[in-house]
Amino acid sequence: MTYYALLFIAGFAGSFHCIGMCGGFACALGADPRGPSATAVRHALYNTGRLTTYCFLGGLAGGLGWAIYSCLGTRSQLGVVVLSESLNAAQRGLAVIAGLLMILMALQFFGLRGVRRVRTGFGGSTLVIALRSLLSRRGHAAPLAFGVLNGFLPCPLVYAMVAQAASTVDVLSGCLTMAAFGLGTFPTMLTMGGLGRLLAPRWRQRGVRLAGSFILALGLVTLGRGLVPMTAGHGLHHIWHFA
Amino acid sequence: MTAAPDALCRHCLLPLGRRGFARTVNGESCQFCCYGCCIAHQVKSGSGDASEAAWFLVRLGVGSFLSMNIMLFSLLVYSGAFTGADRGVLPTIQLLLWGLATPAVLILGEPFLRETWSQARRGRLSSSALIVLGSLAAYIYSTLAVFRLGGHLYFDTAAMVLMLFTLGRYLEAAGRARASRDLAPLLAAESESATVVEGAEEHRRPVREVRAGMLIRVKPGERIPVDGLIVEGCSHTDDSVISGESRQIAKAVGGSVLAGSINLDGPLLIRSSGAGNASRWAQICRSVREALRQSSRTQRIADRLVGAFVPVVLALAGITLAYWAQHLPFDRAMLVALSVLVVACPCAVGLAAPMAHSLGIGQLARHGCLVRSPRALEALALTRLIAFDKTGTLTLGWPHLVDLEIDGVGGDEVLARLAGLERHSEHGLARAIASAARARGVDPIATEDVRVVPGRGLRGVVHGELVAAGSAALMNELGWQLPSTLVERADLMATSGHSVVFVGWSEGVCAGRVRAALSFDDTPLPEARITIEALRAQGLRVMLLTGDHAGAAARVAATVGVDEWQAGLLPEAKRLALDQYRPHHGAVGMVGDGLNDAPGLAWADVGIAVGSATDLARETADLVLPPGGLWLLPWVVCRARAVRSTIFANLAWAFGYNSVALTCAMLGLLQPILAAAVMAGSSLLVVLNSLRLERLPGPSYPSALPLSAAARPASEGQPAQQAQLEGAAVQRGERRL
Repeated sequence: MTYYALLFIAGFAGSFHCIGMCGGFACALGADPRGPSATAVRHALYNTGRLTTYCFLGGLAGGLGWAIYSCLGTRSQLGVVVLSESLNAAQRGLAVIAGLLMILMALQFFGLRGVRRVRTGFGGSTLVIALRSLLSRRGHAAPLAFGVLNGFLPCPLVYAMVAQAASTVDVLSGCLTMAAFGLGTFPTMLTMGGLGRLLAPRWRQRGVRLAGSFILALGLVTLGRGLVPMTAGHGLHHIWHFA
Repeated sequence: MTAAPDALCRHCLLPLGRRGFARTVNGESCQFCCYGCCIAHQVKSGSGDASEAAWFLVRLGVGSFLSMNIMLFSLLVYSGAFTGADRGVLPTIQLLLWGLATPAVLILGEPFLRETWSQARRGRLSSSALIVLGSLAAYIYSTLAVFRLGGHLYFDTAAMVLMLFTLGRYLEAAGRARASRDLAPLLAAESESATVVEGAEEHRRPVREVRAGMLIRVKPGERIPVDGLIVEGCSHTDDSVISGESRQIAKAVGGSVLAGSINLDGPLLIRSSGAGNASRWAQICRSVREALRQSSRTQRIADRLVGAFVPVVLALAGITLAYWAQHLPFDRAMLVALSVLVVACPCAVGLAAPMAHSLGIGQLARHGCLVRSPRALEALALTRLIAFDKTGTLTLGWPHLVDLEIDGVGGDEVLARLAGLERHSEHGLARAIASAARARGVDPIATEDVRVVPGRGLRGVVHGELVAAGSAALMNELGWQLPSTLVERADLMATSGHSVVFVGWSEGVCAGRVRAALSFDDTPLPEARITIEALRAQGLRVMLLTGDHAGAAARVAATVGVDEWQAGLLPEAKRLALDQYRPHHGAVGMVGDGLNDAPGLAWADVGIAVGSATDLARETADLVLPPGGLWLLPWVVCRARAVRSTIFANLAWAFGYNSVALTCAMLGLLQPILAAAVMAGSSLLVVLNSLRLERLPGPSYPSALPLSAAARPASEGQPAQQAQLEGAAVQRGERRL
């Protein structure tokens, strides 16, 4: 449970990054003329859509992790003794990769330019332009659809979390990982929707740094989970194996 | 048919093909080659909240929301979350899944269903039929399971297959649109408009309505719509579309500008020098559009295969179902058959060639090289021998007058008659004659009824008297007497490698007589040597076929580095020479310009016209290089080969991938959802592989030109060696003759 709480906090901290693009969307989604409750529904739908996509991506990543893990696992079973040791090795390998990815994303938040290329989406930019046409559309379907598609837009924060989800090596855990993260972004995004632009750019910058540090820390923990052998200390093991 | 068979898709600019259909987008009727392009076009062109693009996105979004939820709930069911104490919730969850799946299948499946239906009405089975059949079977079976039979549910399969294919087609179309990025401005040219200045008013008018003499205003950053002269303003222009060479050229008042070049940094006022649709730019655009409509042999074979594919796959799925139903419970067997249906979508095969072609044609066109059809591109890639014409192709094409030998008449009179005659010709010598006449201050005599005698010269009428200029053969044909002094002199000129033109005319009732012999020197192009070296480095055999004298041919051949040549060939002889080499080289190419080469260009597998090719030559050529663009030829060959190898890689990939995936599916090794992902990925990979063509380097003007300048003094420094070379070439040439 602690693990998911941590991810929730990561989502919350990370949501300062969201203010950049998705926050703008939330603002543009704006208020419903039919009153505050309709506005609330509008934003709830938007965020539900986003959350669904995140959960789906998390489940997919978890499934992929599981596929890699079980692939390596069955192969090692052909050998004689390896068994659990090598199962752990596969999981650890995934954790190392996920950790490194997350650290890379975090460094990007601190302004490391070289990593920018990661986000070149395929048809992504046209999608963003097209999505704007949904913003002003009335009705309940539009904000929901907008949220769903918004969730697919390239975002380093989401990538980092998906990497984390893959390292859980389980569909359900991956799904829950992204769910916790997604819920973490709710408060800020809902506030943005309600209040409009709230934070001065200086504060936003700090927020992004904060998000970066959090992802960095999480990445380091994940990396550590992969690198430090389980036998090194059971106490340590417990610390990173929150889940 | 709802679409003309030769139209282009609105989105990706590929030919419409069999899957083409029409749809109204933003109140405008558009033709699309596939559903993916329709989606991507709507997404791209969408503006305003009432647009169809927005409506499509809403549908996509809601559909994804539903199917992702189905997926998540199904995962919960699979992972055993509803066993034991929670067992009682299971029917409710199943109902919920049904409730989610019904709108999802309706929303996502509708376009596929519509395509299947419209094809079925034309008596065809499209690949969407496979998708529709697969997902509907899963949906109907699961619905029965919820209400009647019990057992496993496959709503996730139904919804995810549809969603993955929708997504795959969108991404594919987005990739294809990138391929059309180069082409779009070329195709738009015909419908582009120009700002016409009339008095104090300015109007936007379609380019095709622009006539000579109109004033056109061109803002910085705009493409210049018509050929013309600058009346006001100064700027830089980028002529890469016309000349193939990307560099900025300064332009000021009085300077001429070419349609199609981009006005870079200053506003210009231009007086149009010709009709808007007569410019070379307009011609480029027309030919590109025409080329895109054609299909190659590879493409036709692929299309036929795709057509045969669907029934075969249906049969295979049936066999698979029948076989597995004996060994497995029915629902498992059905799932295996579904995988077969879904994995065998042959979209990638159909995509293999057209995208690579349009990328290739687009890139060539951007550098001013026009391809008649994809077939020409394929033939060029296969060509192993390229024959060059000499005059105007390997040489500057405007030789100058070196010597004038007269027999009983004045030099000025000869020039005046000759200039009058040649004024109607675009042959390389015509310019030399015109400039020589200008230099002497001689006015051309008006000549009527000028006719070209291919390979021999020109004839015309002045004041009722016949005038002719050309080779000795023409004079003999006319039965005109050749004075021996002239013949001797001409032989001397010819052996020193000059082109010789005889001029004669008749006087009153007397028979005509040859009055003068003129010799012209034709300098080889500075880039000819590098071009030929580059072609040879590409494994091509290069030779020179010319109608000119052996001496001139030998001299030019030695200078540009061609060691096989044939001289004195009439157009028919050039054809015979090409035929002679064709069996050994698969396909032969012929590079030339001017009237003399038209039959040769047409006869070659790939006729390549360079630059100021006359209209006639352009009609017969398969590839037209921009004026002075001989240096582009190695790049074009390289590009044609790249296109061909990309197509083969695509086809190998698509077929290999399909057959492996199909086998796996029939063996029951592939989940339907995975199969859908695999298939969507397959066509995406074909698109990405074709897009690699975009990253190949563009042509670079031979920076080796200083190199050629460096090479020239060396060869001049060893005249003995060069003479030896020439002697050797003459011997070889004569043997062949």
